[in-house]
Amino acid sequence: MVSDLKEELIKALKKPSTFGPDIDLSDYGLEDPKIYDRLEVSEELTKIISRIGLENEQLNLNYVQVDESAMYDALGRSLRKYNTRILPLRKALDDFTYVKDLMWRLVRPDLDKYTAANYLYGNELGYFIYVPPNTKVSIPIYSCLAITSNNKMQLAHNLIYVDEGSEAHVVTGCLVPHGVKNSLHIGISEFYVKRNARLTFTMIHAWSEGVHVRPRTGVDVDVGGEYVNYYVTYSPVASLQTYPVIRLGAGSKASSSSVIAGSGYGVYDVGTKIILGGDHSTAEIVSKVITKDSSEVNARSDITAEAVGRGHVECLGLLLSQKSKISSIPSLTSKKPGATLSHEAAIGVIAQEELEYLMSKGFKEDEAKSIVTRGFIDINVKNIPPTVELEIDRVLDLIAKSAAST
Amino acid sequence: MLVVKKLEVCVNGKKIVEDVNLSVRAGELHVIIGPNGSGKSTLLSAIMGLPRVNVCNGSIVFEGSDITNTPSYERAKMGIALAYQNPPSIRGVKFSEIAKNLIKRCGCSDYTIMSKVLRTDEFLGRDLFVGFSGGERKRAELYLVLLQNPKIALLDEPDSGVDIESLNLIADAINLLIKRGSSVVLVTHSGSILSKLRRVDRTHIMLDGRIAYSGLVDEVLPLISKYGFRKSAEILGKILSGE
Repeated sequence: MVSDLKEELIKALKKPSTFGPDIDLSDYGLEDPKIYDRLEVSEELTKIISRIGLENEQLNLNYVQVDESAMYDALGRSLRKYNTRILPLRKALDDFTYVKDLMWRLVRPDLDKYTAANYLYGNELGYFIYVPPNTKVSIPIYSCLAITSNNKMQLAHNLIYVDEGSEAHVVTGCLVPHGVKNSLHIGISEFYVKRNARLTFTMIHAWSEGVHVRPRTGVDVDVGGEYVNYYVTYSPVASLQTYPVIRLGAGSKASSSSVIAGSGYGVYDVGTKIILGGDHSTAEIVSKVITKDSSEVNARSDITAEAVGRGHVECLGLLLSQKSKISSIPSLTSKKPGATLSHEAAIGVIAQEELEYLMSKGFKEDEAKSIVTRGFIDINVKNIPPTVELEIDRVLDLIAKSAAST
Repeated sequence: MLVVKKLEVCVNGKKIVEDVNLSVRAGELHVIIGPNGSGKSTLLSAIMGLPRVNVCNGSIVFEGSDITNTPSYERAKMGIALAYQNPPSIRGVKFSEIAKNLIKRCGCSDYTIMSKVLRTDEFLGRDLFVGFSGGERKRAELYLVLLQNPKIALLDEPDSGVDIESLNLIADAINLLIKRGSSVVLVTHSGSILSKLRRVDRTHIMLDGRIAYSGLVDEVLPLISKYGFRKSAEILGKILSGE
């Protein structure tokens, strides 16, 4: 590492994030990394993983990271016929020289203390996925990151490279078992969607009350490419702050859909920024927020037009408790005449009229609430594989049921 | 089957229904006709037990049980079903999802026939009442009532704001309800559907929150079309009292 950069990053370790509560990194220790070239998912982990909607028979995981231990199938059985690889980033750095050049290009290491910590102390765990040109990987690629220890910092760095004309569906679940009191997850994700390629990325977060979560994501979508993001977070956290930035090339498109179900005393600051960087690019950001207990959610959405393109933002919120709070912060910026940007935002409560109607059809009040909430959080995300859709449905059902119990 | 005694119903502290008595026997079809704002919908809401209305006096007895304070979902399970005049649009909730739930819960086996009668295939996959036309809305709501296999169906203006084609489909569905043995209380202010029904057992004119006259449809409708609701009720009342 160039010493100047190192010095800068050491300084950046004191730089709080623009958004979200500040965390004292010295509260968290680091473990030594371990890499296993076989995937052996214990019974306990299987149970934990079921929290993100994955059931036993579907546990066809390609990469698992528990704390600072990474497991992967070195033989790459399920993806072999697609010549597609998924392996720990550290292993990828050893095996492929080009991987180093892909790191820290879409997320700046000096962005804040979390990126700096990951750069300085990260063990290059996290996954690297490479999809060769003109390859359509029809089966979803599953990965799972879990924290099981207290007072620990989990660092992960994920890289996905979908080469020209290819298509991949990646599903990542991040979770902790109940009872983890105080941990910090910092995940760096850099996704490259090359010319005319397509990546759908589904992320399901199921953390717990004591966990602080700071993912940092950058996505670059090349000419004619498409990036579809579906993010669901549904369990209590201490705090969660993320603000992925997606940059679009000419004729490319991105859609980012989030379901944020705040609960407990959690503070959630969740946003997405899409930059229309090339002409005829299109962007859509949809966020559906529900809050119960004493949770607080800031839902940020930003579309910036640097080229002639189209963008739409929709932020909808549903308050399910007296003590919770939702702030919807849509932002549109146009630097190019001819760009068309729009947004709609609304925050409300469950309409009494809707509950009354459903109850007149024989549904109890909690059932009616669950039905209305489930309808509210439903987002029609196109072209996600049916198996993934099923998992998301299961999670959304859980969210709706839990919301009805408030 | 249903006995409403001296019912008074308030909405936001204002008395809308006053001293209403109504007795519906098994399999009967009763029509309540009256001008807008006469309390017809409020009466049906009270019988269904909707929280928006408040029964301040009187009682509602269904199959021998006093249900005046029974929550609406319990009444629905007992066999009372209400077709809303204007059901609310609920985004993200599929019409088919609610229909499936009712089919399962109420054990409705002939739902395909009902679906054909009301042509519900056109909107099964859509969100509940979102973007439905007037006719679609009425047909969809009536379909959900049919799926409930009700012992008594309370139909709030199923004939208002629909085209002639939908009106015929709705009349067919009501006739199907009667054929299956359901009692029906049908509220209308135009009466346009009545000639299409297999039979009407009793017709009530409702004015200013009260039932002003109860009689046969054949004596009530011609007078209403000639003199309007209020004068018809007066004339019929005088005839009844021998004046």
